[in-house]
Amino acid sequence: MKTELSYQELLKTSPYKPVKAKIVKTNKYTEFEKLFRIELDGKKDLEHVPGQFVQVSLFGVGEAPISVCSSPTEKGYFDLTVRRVGGLTTAMHKLETGSVLGIRGPFGKGFPLDAMRGNDILIVAGGLGIVPLRSLIHYILDQRKDFGDVQILLGCKTPKDMLFGEEVEAWQKRADIKFNCTVDRADPDWKGNVGLITSLIPGASIEPKKTYAVVVGPPIMYKFVIVELLKKEIPGHQIIVSLERKMKCGLGKCGHCQIRGVYVCQSGPVFTYDELRQMEGECHEGECHV
Amino acid sequence: MSKAKPKVAFFEFTDCEGCQLQVANLGADLLELTKAVDIVNFREIMSEEGQEYDVLVVEGSIASKHDEERLKAIAAKAKVIVALGACAATGGVNNLKNLKSLEEQKKIVYGDVDPVKDAVAAKPIDAVVKVDYYVHGCPIHGPEFVKVMQCVLMGKPYKVPTYPVCVECRQNENVCLYDKGQFCLGPITRAGCNSWLPNNGVPCVGCRGLIDNPAANAQKDILEKYGLTVEGILDKFTLYCNAQKERAKYDKEFKS
Amino acid sequence: MKYAIIAKKDMPRWFDSLKRHGKIFGPRKKEHQYVFRPIDEFEEMSLVYIPTILPPKKYYFPQKEALLKFSIDPYKTDKAIKEFEEYILFAVHTCDIAGIQCLDVVFNDNPADPNYLNRKEKTTVIGIECMDYCDSHASCAAVGNHVPRGGYDIMLTDLDGSYAMHINSEKGEKLAVGKSYIREMNATDRARLKKAQDEKLKKFHNEFSKDIKSVERAFDDGFFSPVWQDVGRRCVGCTNCTAVCPTCYCFDIADEMEMNLNDGVRTRTWSYCQMDDFAKVATGEDFRPGRDGRQRHRYYRKFKYPVTKYNKYFCTGCGRCTRTCMAKISLVETVNALLDNKA
Repeated sequence: MKTELSYQELLKTSPYKPVKAKIVKTNKYTEFEKLFRIELDGKKDLEHVPGQFVQVSLFGVGEAPISVCSSPTEKGYFDLTVRRVGGLTTAMHKLETGSVLGIRGPFGKGFPLDAMRGNDILIVAGGLGIVPLRSLIHYILDQRKDFGDVQILLGCKTPKDMLFGEEVEAWQKRADIKFNCTVDRADPDWKGNVGLITSLIPGASIEPKKTYAVVVGPPIMYKFVIVELLKKEIPGHQIIVSLERKMKCGLGKCGHCQIRGVYVCQSGPVFTYDELRQMEGECHEGECHV
Repeated sequence: MSKAKPKVAFFEFTDCEGCQLQVANLGADLLELTKAVDIVNFREIMSEEGQEYDVLVVEGSIASKHDEERLKAIAAKAKVIVALGACAATGGVNNLKNLKSLEEQKKIVYGDVDPVKDAVAAKPIDAVVKVDYYVHGCPIHGPEFVKVMQCVLMGKPYKVPTYPVCVECRQNENVCLYDKGQFCLGPITRAGCNSWLPNNGVPCVGCRGLIDNPAANAQKDILEKYGLTVEGILDKFTLYCNAQKERAKYDKEFKS
Repeated sequence: MKYAIIAKKDMPRWFDSLKRHGKIFGPRKKEHQYVFRPIDEFEEMSLVYIPTILPPKKYYFPQKEALLKFSIDPYKTDKAIKEFEEYILFAVHTCDIAGIQCLDVVFNDNPADPNYLNRKEKTTVIGIECMDYCDSHASCAAVGNHVPRGGYDIMLTDLDGSYAMHINSEKGEKLAVGKSYIREMNATDRARLKKAQDEKLKKFHNEFSKDIKSVERAFDDGFFSPVWQDVGRRCVGCTNCTAVCPTCYCFDIADEMEMNLNDGVRTRTWSYCQMDDFAKVATGEDFRPGRDGRQRHRYYRKFKYPVTKYNKYFCTGCGRCTRTCMAKISLVETVNALLDNKA
C-alpha cells in the first residue's frame, strides 16, 4: 500500500477513497460479535500484516477502524470480526452475504513478525483482543515450523462470550501448541479455569530471553498482565501490545488517535512495552510502569 | 424505489407550535422531504388527519395527566419517536411553572377557578415514552431537523453535538460577545444550531440545553472576570436549563 | 526583478490588476476585530490590523470541505471537487505565512493530501510585513516569525509613501512585471528598506522569559508540571484556542446525504483536541479525559511534537489563542510558567 504516488497521480486518486468490497460470508458468534468474510473488488489481496487494521466504509453512515482477523496467508479474502457498539458497527451488523461496502487500508504497523520468527510465542488474549490475535495465530499455524514453542492464553467474561468456538476447540486439540483459557464467571457447563487471565501467567513455562509475549485486550488488562510478564523477566521490547484509539483518517493527519507525539494509526496500533513507557502519562496502558 | 414511503405524523402538546412552524418554513427542503416520506398528520400545513404512521414527531411538553395518556396512546402506534424542540426534548420554557407548587401556579394563572384539575409538573416527553431522536432548540434549527429526519429514514442514530455553541460561533467568525461585555451561554450550551443567535449579534440563551460535561468552575471564573454575578448567571439558566441534571454541577460549584 | 517599489497611491491600480488572476481575499474590519473576506475594492481592506479572528487557513483548509462523492446503490465514488479556483491572499502577516508553511509540511507528508495540495497550487500569497507589534498578545519574535521568512509570492514592506516589494516566486513576478507604476528598487530604496527593517527590529523582543531552546527543554521536562493542572482548571472547554490557531489541522470525517438518501458526500470538518469526545472511542472509553491533559496536548502540539517530527515550531506567535480565550489563559504566561517551574 505504501507505493509513492507522483503528484499528478495524487490529483487523480485520493487516499480517502475506499475500495469496493463484498461480503462473501458471515458468522454471528454472539449477540454482539459477528464475523464478515470480505472480498475486495477483483479478488485482490489486502496484503496486510497481522495486527493491522482497515477503515470500513458504509456510505451514508461513515467509517470505522476494524482489525483484520485473518492471516495474509489466506488468499482472496480477509476476515473482520465486529463488535456492535457504535453507529457504523450497528449498521454493519445488519449486512449479510452479498452486501457491498468500502475498504481503505490496511493501515498501521502490525506485529513484528520478522523479529518474532524463530522465538517462542506467548499469546495473551483478553475479551475482544482475540480478534487481531486470530490473524497472528492463523499466520503462525500456517508457518508453524518457523516459530518455537507457541502458547495461547485466552480469557473472557463468560463461556458465552467466547469467540471462534470451533477454531478454539481445534487449537486445544493440537499437539504443537499449548492452550489454556479462563472465564471471569463460569456457567454450569464450564469445566475449565475460572478467574482473571493474569492467573494463567505465573504457571506458564516461559524461557524469557527467547519469548515474545503478544498481549491484546482491554486497557485495564494490560496493566496487570504486563506486571506478570515482567515478573517472568520477559524483556520490554519482547512484550507486544495493540492499542485501541479513535481513528478517523488512518493517514496520520486527523489527530484523534494521537498519544503524545505518536499517531497510533501509523506508528501503531502495535507497540512494544518499551515504546509504551516512552508515552507515559498520555497512555493508560503505559501507566503500567513498575 | 418501489418501497412504501414511511408515514410521518406531527402531534403537539403544551407549546407554541413554533417548532412545527420552523418545519413548515423549510420550503424546498420540506418538499424534498415529502419525496421520501408521507406526512399524514401536520395541522400547520394540512387539514387531513391520518391515524396510521411509522414516525411520530412530538412537539411540546407534558403538563397534565391527560397529556400523559394521550402521548402513550399515540406513541404506541409509532415505530420511531422524535422529540421536536426544547419543550419536548427537555421541557423547555414550560419548566418555569415548576418553580412554584401546582397549587400556587394555578392560583397565579387561573385565580379561584381550576380548569385543569389533572395538571402535573411540566416534563419532557421522554419522562413518559422512550425517545429515539432529539431535535433541540427553541425553536428548532431547520437544517438540523432535516438531518435528523435523514437519520430516521436511514435507521441510523443522530448524535447531538456534545461540544459548545462556541465551536460553531468561532467557525462563523463572529466577534465573541464576551469581548463586547455581553453575557452569552454559548460556552456551556450544546451546539447544533450553527450559532444562530450570535450570528445575529444576540447572546445565546441556552435553549438547546447544557453540554454534557460542563466546566462549571471555569465558567464561574470567567463570569466573575467579566463582572457578572453568580445569581445573574443562575438566573439565566432558569429559562431553559433548570430541569437538566447538568445544572446541579453549577449549583454546587457556584454556591460553594 | 527581485525587489521593486510601488507608491501607495498606486496600490488600488495594482490591486485592480490582480483581480484577473483570481478572487482576492484580504483583511477587513469587523466591529473591533478583523476578518479575511473577499475584497472588491482596495479601500475595503485594513492593511494595518490585528490578526484576524480566523487565520487565512479557512481558504486552503476550510471549516468544512468535501473529500469524496458517493452513491450507495449502485456503489460509486467520484471526485468531490472537479476544479479548484485560483485565488490571492492579500496582506497576510508573516505569522500567518508561517502557519501556511507548517500545514504545507503536514499535508505533504506521506500520504499527501490531495485537497490541500490542489488548493495550495491555486493560492497566491501576498504578505505584508508588520513594522511594530500588532498588540501585546503576539509572541512572533520568540519563534522568529516577526520577519519574513519565505512562503510568499510577494512581500510588502511599508516605506511611508510607498511599499517595498520582495518578489519571491515566478507567480509573484508575473503579478508585478509590466506595470509602469512598479519600478525596480535602486540603491537609495534599498538603504531605506534596510533602515526601516532595522528600526523595526528594535521594537521586537523575545516575548518569553528565556530563549526558544530553553522553551524546548522546558517542554521536554514539563509533561507532569503543575502548570497543566492550573491551565486545565481555568479552561472552560469552549475550544476557541484550537479553532483560531493557524496550525491546528485536526479534523473529523462524516457523510452527508442528499434527500434521495442514496447519493452523498464524505466531508471533513475541523475538529479540536479540546472537544469532549475528541479521543473517545465507540465503547465510551475516553483516552484524554481531562481539560488539563487536553490543554497540555495543545501546547505540546505547538512546541514539542512537531519539533521532533518536522523540526518546526507549530506556534507561529500570532497570539490568537490568547486573544480569544475567555478564561484569559495566555500562551506567553503559560510558557513562562513552565520555564519558571523548571528553574
